[in-house]
Amino acid sequence: MRAETLKGHLDFLLLAIVGDEPAHGYRIIEALKRRSAGAFDLPEGTVYPALHRLEQSGLLASSWASGSGRRRRVYRLTARGRRALAGARRDWRGFTKAVEAVVA
Amino acid sequence: MIGGYLRELEAELGAVGIRGSLRRRILAETSDHLHESGDAARFGEPKLVAARFADELATSGARRVAFTSFLALAPAGIAYAVLFGLIRTWPDIASAKLLPLAIATAVTIVLAPQVAFAAGVLTVARAWRLRSQTTAPAAEIVVLRRRAAVALGSGATAFAAVAVYAYEYSSGLPDWWATTAFIVSGAALVSIGGAAVALARNAQLRAQAAGPAGDVFDDVAPLLDRIPLRLRGRPWRFCLLVAAAVAAAAFVAGGPDEGPRNAVGEFVAICAAFAALGRFLGLRR
Repeated sequence: MRAETLKGHLDFLLLAIVGDEPAHGYRIIEALKRRSAGAFDLPEGTVYPALHRLEQSGLLASSWASGSGRRRRVYRLTARGRRALAGARRDWRGFTKAVEAVVA
Repeated sequence: MIGGYLRELEAELGAVGIRGSLRRRILAETSDHLHESGDAARFGEPKLVAARFADELATSGARRVAFTSFLALAPAGIAYAVLFGLIRTWPDIASAKLLPLAIATAVTIVLAPQVAFAAGVLTVARAWRLRSQTTAPAAEIVVLRRRAAVALGSGATAFAAVAVYAYEYSSGLPDWWATTAFIVSGAALVSIGGAAVALARNAQLRAQAAGPAGDVFDDVAPLLDRIPLRLRGRPWRFCLLVAAAVAAAAFVAGGPDEGPRNAVGEFVAICAAFAALGRFLGLRR
């Protein structure tokens, strides 16, 4: 899938992945690839600016944790992020339902 | 390989204004990622990654600073209006300690809040327009920062002038009013200063995204489209309309004695401000 197509949905996808469990950047990117069966295969460096921006916007929070002998930044959803994710899920389901009704 | 990539990314982050603890954090996250994946090429060109960080953080940060600035100025503006509304008898202009300074202060007290209000509203209008964008063009962000800077600068100037006014005319004003004016000015200046620090931090980020800055018609398009005067693309016509509306309000508020003088003053001041700051604040191209 082209990066431009994914761009508008990246925030929603990242919130959904972090919403399942707190994760560091690499694990988030791997989950994005695995759960989309390879369709969402972005240049990996472009995911980190989005994570930082979501944190700056108060939708994610992060903290350092130790793992595999290295310090890693682990991201988790904030209460505001949970509300945003719920709203985005609702909108997305409504949208796909409407599109399906038209094109099916 | 990883070390070389991190050194290049460090330099590129510095080139877009990302330094200090934020840069250290980005490099630490990148280092962790690259040790895990072992593939620096998949991470992306350092220059592009740095530009992406600058674009995304500058956009969301500038938007937040815009709303913070407005939140700092709005209560200060209300306090300002209440403060001057409490004066029952204005002191004789000649009773100042240093007359030229007092006159300059009085003029500032009238004009600076209006500039702060207009720039503040324009700041919020632009920030609102950019609310759903993850990366805005660098030119848009520059305009947003300029508007916030002018709003905060004018607000700070207004409250500094209030304090000077209270001092200059302390003999002709009630003691409680002068004391209140000092307290309100101090509190407002602290609040405005906090927003200015946030703005200065955001201004260090140099966004890279290309694109036009837009103008006032882009900011207030939904409102303008309701006015059947074909204003779009005619900034001076828009300016004259706003100046005439404000002058009419000043005429009515000033009554038969002061109304005509105030109306002319407002009309000229708005047109002069539009001429001086119109391009700088992205009101016209």
